[in-house]
Amino acid sequence: MGIVKAEKTPARVAPIFETSVVGWLRKNLFSNTFNTILTFITLYIIYLTISGVFTWGYVDATFVADNRRECYDNSLTGACWAGVIDWFDNIFYGRYPRDQIWRINFGGLLLALWMAPMWMGPVKGKVLIGISVVAFYPFLAGYLFSGGDKGMFMQVMIALALVAFIINMANMVIGLSNKQSLRQFLIRVLGQSTAPDKTQRNILLILAVAAFGAAFFWQSGWGVEGVSWTKWGGLFLTLVISGIGIASALPGGIILALGRRSKLPVLRVLSTGFIEVFRSVPLITVLFMATTMFPLFMPEGFVLNKLVQVIIAVVLFNACYMAETVRAGLQAIPKGQFEGAHTIGLGYWGTMGLIIMPQALKHMIPNIVGSFIGLLKDTTLVSIIGLFDILGMLRSISKDQPWLGLHKEPLVFGAILFFIICFSMSKYSRHLEVKLSAGSRH
Amino acid sequence: MLQGENNMSDQQSLGQLASAASSEVMIEINQMNKWYGQFHVLKDINLTVHKGERIVICGPSGSGKSTLIRCINALEEHQEGDIIVDGIVLGKNLKNLDHIRTEVGMVFQNFNLFPHLTILENLTLGPMWVRKMGRAEANEIAMQYLERVKIPEQADKYPGQMSGGQQQRVAIARSLCMSPKIMLFDEPTSALDPEMIKEVLDVMVDLADTGMTMIVVTHEMGFARTIADEVIFMDEGDIVETNKPADFFGNPEHERTQKFLSQIL
Ligand SMILES: Nc1ncnc2c1ncn2[C@@H]1O[C@H](COP(=O)(O)OP(=O)(O)O)[C@@H](O)[C@H]1O
Ligand SMILES: [Mg+2]
Repeated sequence: MGIVKAEKTPARVAPIFETSVVGWLRKNLFSNTFNTILTFITLYIIYLTISGVFTWGYVDATFVADNRRECYDNSLTGACWAGVIDWFDNIFYGRYPRDQIWRINFGGLLLALWMAPMWMGPVKGKVLIGISVVAFYPFLAGYLFSGGDKGMFMQVMIALALVAFIINMANMVIGLSNKQSLRQFLIRVLGQSTAPDKTQRNILLILAVAAFGAAFFWQSGWGVEGVSWTKWGGLFLTLVISGIGIASALPGGIILALGRRSKLPVLRVLSTGFIEVFRSVPLITVLFMATTMFPLFMPEGFVLNKLVQVIIAVVLFNACYMAETVRAGLQAIPKGQFEGAHTIGLGYWGTMGLIIMPQALKHMIPNIVGSFIGLLKDTTLVSIIGLFDILGMLRSISKDQPWLGLHKEPLVFGAILFFIICFSMSKYSRHLEVKLSAGSRH
Repeated sequence: MLQGENNMSDQQSLGQLASAASSEVMIEINQMNKWYGQFHVLKDINLTVHKGERIVICGPSGSGKSTLIRCINALEEHQEGDIIVDGIVLGKNLKNLDHIRTEVGMVFQNFNLFPHLTILENLTLGPMWVRKMGRAEANEIAMQYLERVKIPEQADKYPGQMSGGQQQRVAIARSLCMSPKIMLFDEPTSALDPEMIKEVLDVMVDLADTGMTMIVVTHEMGFARTIADEVIFMDEGDIVETNKPADFFGNPEHERTQKFLSQIL
């Protein structure tokens, strides 16, 4: 005879230990005598550290002074932030002419505006926005920062960048107000919704060409004075180098990783060799090689400035690391995805671009952000080969006459700055991970 | 198995589906051999499939069933013999391969849907990127096929949010969106919970009704009886027996077939 349970068991509330704060504290921090002692010792150490730092950095600190002497007069044991504050412009902008600093801020603002739509839910075409930033923004910003005469190539690129920017902004406004893409909106306003795809495309093409003409005309009458790259410095320079590094490391890494997995032996061996060589030397070596040996390979009379050499080195180095990250991401994609793509007739590039890469990149986000954080921090190495990036600037404060010997405060300030930037990046990557995995669960 | 039996009795009341086979040859395989390294997977395979014909392949695990149908849509290369699909010879010619893949649809045991795309996007990807169709038209076709596999309301979900049976029906619809001439099925119900098997088999029976040329690797014997024009039994890389379903199940000729059937029925 079977045994039958007559009634359904109702769900009960979880025991208090599992849910309340007190329960959590009891379980995790005060579960036995030893644990309790450890908890108190740890709390004491934390208290000592925080109160020490707080007294030094805030209570006893000097914020207004003309030189280090005055700081000491005020307090012997406190921090002398006055030196850091006095050097603020240098720390952020290097020796960029003070009356031109707006250009850097403006460039930053443009970038922020350009990328902002990527975080706005209803806006369409996010991938295109991302691509347009990488493809066009550098030219606009490059001219904004360095100024001077524009060659024909630069003029075209600047006009293109302007068109891309305006399209992007219009697309954002339409997306936010109408939940449509700019394309749909224009077609509807022009009353062509029922026209065939080809006509629609031609109309948009004509509009784009007209916009380009207008932008080209406008930019030819506009210019800013030249600022030599030797005047670039501080956080600005760090962000320029690491920004270019970040923007090109990912595409470069993808190309190298695909090369390494290619069926063509030549491509595979070249990519593998390239990746392994760069991965087996430290960045500082690559930087020295780039600045001392690179010129030897260049044709006679062809002089690259140091900044460009450094950027090339940083880009190559990071592309190689990224290639390995991408390769790991690709390996995590099940074979079935390739076969699924195959059966609907997608070729190599279609399969990679539409099916494999989007999934692989999603898995790789934590690693990619990790590399970006590493890249940002590694960029400070360029101060060793004589560029005044943020670290270079922070260290030169101690050589400035009024602030002679002021080492600690600038470096602490730099550490805080880096912590803020890197920590927010890593927090954001966590957030992205959660958001993306919520979208499509396996 | 239970579901398969049910399905069989359902369909038997209707009688066996009328064969749609014509005399036009869709697939022709001559003396085909394939090796994985030193391992001889497929041995002297000969097979002719006519337009509208429905073939069921069964056989023990590892007998080369998957490999055979994967060779037909060029997912695997064969080393000897000829495979001619819709008049096109499969070989090293990449252009031919591209063409074949759009003519031959395939449904896998594990669905192989694209998890990062919605159901609708899964279906429109091929038509838009391979057939260069406009979005509106592609959407329309996709919805039409979703309707046919009876899940139009799920168009905006992601594959991960659906049951196995629903995913498999989406996979079938995805293939159909490319309007293939031949559909290959590799154990389409083997990864499914028993209560979902019938919904997928029903869709496949509907498809057979439309006159599609089909090759189905399956152990659903009820299904095989209902739709198959011919049942093929494979063992250790050989096609051991080819027979009409009634004879295959009622009166198998080869002793290996008899043994296999006694194990699974
Ligand atoms: N990629 C491969 N490399 C080497 N051996 C394989 C590969 N794929 C399948 N095999 C072998 O080929 C045989 C036939 O496999 P398969 O066609 O999948 O059998 P079935 O589908 O009938 O179960 C099996 O013994 C399997 O181990
Ligand atoms: Mg198999």
